[in-house]
Amino acid sequence: MAESWRRSQWRNGLFALPFLVTFAAFLVFPLIWGFWLSLHKVDLFGPGRFVGFDNYVKVLRDPQFRQALLNTLIFVATTVPTLVALGLFLALALNHLTRATAFLRGLFFASSVLSVTIVTLIWRIVFIPNDGLIALVFDHLGWAQIGFLSTKGWSLFSVGVATVWWCIGLPMMLFLAALQQIPVDHYEAAALDNANRWRVLTRITLPAIRRTVLLVAIIQVVMQFQLFGQAQLMTNGGPAGSSRPLVMYIYEVGFIRWEVGRAAAASEILFLIILCAAMIQYVVATRNQEGV
Amino acid sequence: MSASIEIRNVTKRYGGLTVLEDISLSIAAGEFVVFLGPSGCGKSTLLRMVAGLEALDGGTIDLGGTRIDTLPPGKRGVAMVFQSYALYPHMTVAQNMGFGLENIGMAREDIARRVTAAADVLEIAHLLDRKPAKLSGGQRQRVAIGRAIVKEPKAFLFDEPLSNLDAALRGRTRLELAQLHARLGSTMIFVTHDQVEAMTLADRIVVMHNRRIEQIGTPMEIYRRPATRFVAGFVGTPAISILGVKAAELGPRGLTVDLGSAGVLQTRLQLPVAVPAAGGLEIGIRPEDVTVVPPGGDGIPARAEVVEHLGERTLVYARLPDGQQITAEADGRSTLRAGTEVKLRLDPDALHLFAADGRAFHVDAGGYDG
Amino acid sequence: MAPRTYRPEALNTSKGLFVLACLLAVVAMAPIAWIVGLSLKDNKALMLGTEAVFALPYTLANYVNLIGSSQVFGWFFNSLVVAVGETVGVLVLSSLAGYAFGRLEFPFRRTLFVLVLFGLAVPEQAVIIARHQMFNWLGWHNTHLGLIVPGLTSAFGVFLMTQFFRAIPKEIDEAALLDNTPPFRLFWRVMLPLTLPAQATLGIFTFLHAWNDYWWPLISATKKEMFTLTVGIASSQTNFAQSEGLGFLSAQAVFASLPVVIVYILFQRHIVTAVSGGAVK
Repeated sequence: MAESWRRSQWRNGLFALPFLVTFAAFLVFPLIWGFWLSLHKVDLFGPGRFVGFDNYVKVLRDPQFRQALLNTLIFVATTVPTLVALGLFLALALNHLTRATAFLRGLFFASSVLSVTIVTLIWRIVFIPNDGLIALVFDHLGWAQIGFLSTKGWSLFSVGVATVWWCIGLPMMLFLAALQQIPVDHYEAAALDNANRWRVLTRITLPAIRRTVLLVAIIQVVMQFQLFGQAQLMTNGGPAGSSRPLVMYIYEVGFIRWEVGRAAAASEILFLIILCAAMIQYVVATRNQEGV
Repeated sequence: MSASIEIRNVTKRYGGLTVLEDISLSIAAGEFVVFLGPSGCGKSTLLRMVAGLEALDGGTIDLGGTRIDTLPPGKRGVAMVFQSYALYPHMTVAQNMGFGLENIGMAREDIARRVTAAADVLEIAHLLDRKPAKLSGGQRQRVAIGRAIVKEPKAFLFDEPLSNLDAALRGRTRLELAQLHARLGSTMIFVTHDQVEAMTLADRIVVMHNRRIEQIGTPMEIYRRPATRFVAGFVGTPAISILGVKAAELGPRGLTVDLGSAGVLQTRLQLPVAVPAAGGLEIGIRPEDVTVVPPGGDGIPARAEVVEHLGERTLVYARLPDGQQITAEADGRSTLRAGTEVKLRLDPDALHLFAADGRAFHVDAGGYDG
Repeated sequence: MAPRTYRPEALNTSKGLFVLACLLAVVAMAPIAWIVGLSLKDNKALMLGTEAVFALPYTLANYVNLIGSSQVFGWFFNSLVVAVGETVGVLVLSSLAGYAFGRLEFPFRRTLFVLVLFGLAVPEQAVIIARHQMFNWLGWHNTHLGLIVPGLTSAFGVFLMTQFFRAIPKEIDEAALLDNTPPFRLFWRVMLPLTLPAQATLGIFTFLHAWNDYWWPLISATKKEMFTLTVGIASSQTNFAQSEGLGFLSAQAVFASLPVVIVYILFQRHIVTAVSGGAVK
């Protein structure tokens, strides 16, 4: 029930105006215009020529795009479950607040505040052949060297390792926040009911944070689909494009080859994929909830 | 500086829901009026309409002869103390009290003078530099009252200001409020659902129920001569006992009622002709008017189900043979135990009669047409 | 031995999980220790083999060289201007808008808020092409303004501030109303001070975000002197391990992360609130 003094007035909207103008000019407008660009053949010189969905067709037929799409899907399908599982594990392990767990929480989250440039620099120096940390360890154990950043398959894997290391803080913190909100008396009731640790986990803890699991998964899917810096800086998409993600494809088409219309089309496709992935996850998860 | 308040035909609707209907009420200058009623009866809404926090859907409100329902809250000359106190958390006590005066451009030294004076009255002068978070509940309450006092309003509005205090503090603050009213002589409206607050503070109580005013009267009128069955039931702890009337006959000396297993009582009650003597009548009687007869005496048989020894008196919750419940009072030194059979005596002059439509009739003046 | 009193806490802690988490922490920290170690070694010694990192002598030479390179300081300055500018801008815009959305009524408020929330779902890549062209026309590429402005469209801050403003009890407004408070004074003197903790949280979060941004500066700042630290460091990595040497590169990484690490250590609690506060409700 709205209070009477809270009268609706145009003047009140003035407070929101500065943001709304910025938002409209630099987000909404480019979003719409990006779609317009994707329907035109545009390059560095001169105005565009309307080509309909030609750009989309060309992008979808481009083997480079298809490979980038496949790489991205593989990357998302492996990193997201890893991040969710590892984040949940860390949150459960560090849920009880002591000095030691607070320190470890801080440690695991710390990597998240670094920029992608630093993260990749660190991991490149870890992964470089012969001199890297991994190489030293392998030498020590007498294992054969692997060119982590220059071998097909391993390159995307290495990007994934660096990504998980970089991003693990957020899922952990979100899970911790959710765990903190479970009322203590639920656990006390379970203790009086003779529930063992495993049953407490599966019957009380996990159901209580179901929504957070979904939230974390959606956030991570959206984030990992946008993979760019790690791949560009660690492997430059190589070897032979085996670790080139979608965003890097957009970057190369748009800002190196300057095929603006096509890059716009590719970015619209990425946008659509991200929206769909998030939506599907949401729908599936909420349907499961109803079934339970 | 106090002023009379005139509420005329005020109506309030939220969407299709009417919460107050055609309310009219006059409050004299300097009067302490309490709006009493169960939650959701519209008492807070009425207060907030006087304050200007809710718009009127009909009617007018005057303060000191000037119409105020057209003015914004700050221009009405009223001050309000909120249930949650609503102190500004980031301002010191002094800043909290002075903020409203600052807003109207009062000179700094005048503000300081008023704040100091109010703080002295409320004995919070030593807290002036503290922030609300560093105060106890009782101290915050005083600051909230202080914030109202410095404005020197024509009327004070209190919205359940004591409900966030613990029992002991509530009692003390109640006394202080009464003293404050005596000292300032201002018009005050006080909203509460607590009948003890209403009884102790009010010059007049306005009992509200279900969108309407049930009764306006002094505390004693409300208690002794409730206008309706609702008022009788709402005021008084423990609650008034209600017994069904099996048959009633109006004789020359008054109404004779057959209460079933509670016996037949000859009362001095008179009934207006319009009320049929039969059908849906009920009798109400307060615990202090039902006495436990010493063993061997004559009275209505009942079984004591719960006995509460309160020290100065003993409350007996008894059941009559026909299953009706009745509350009686016994001496404080009574050794009565639950489960024993007792004999009760009802004071026929203290009976209240309720018609089927809820109207109440009393012995001394017949009907009260509230 | 006498039986010990049962301690209920035993139920909540699992030693096994904790030990495992400790091991993971060691693994996770190894790369950082590795980099810090390398940064303290002479480049020539490392050329012979990086095992040298486990033995004396250590040196600060790499850091001294770094400070000698004026380029890095230029980038550092750019990052600082961009991060501070974006933080101030986001705080101002989000506070005003959050107040409007959280506490005021105006026509189309709901619709506009939903639109803003929708902005949360738009990835930067979806607007990048058009935004790049737009800034081309405006002549904003390779300017600080051009690096700051895209960050100001973030709906996250508005969302966060709206929630904080909403949480303030309505009686505060009502008391202020009875106190004759004019609209802007109500915002400035009463409401805004109450959101200071939120301002701190949002401010630190925005600062880190702006400092670390790579995608937009990479595209917009093409002149070397307009690079931010992130882009600058990336650009100097290209001929990796050949030119400057591992020790110098490592020192660069450590140096560039110092500001955020310091901010993180000082304001850890605010950062955690920012990332988890808005999401888990």
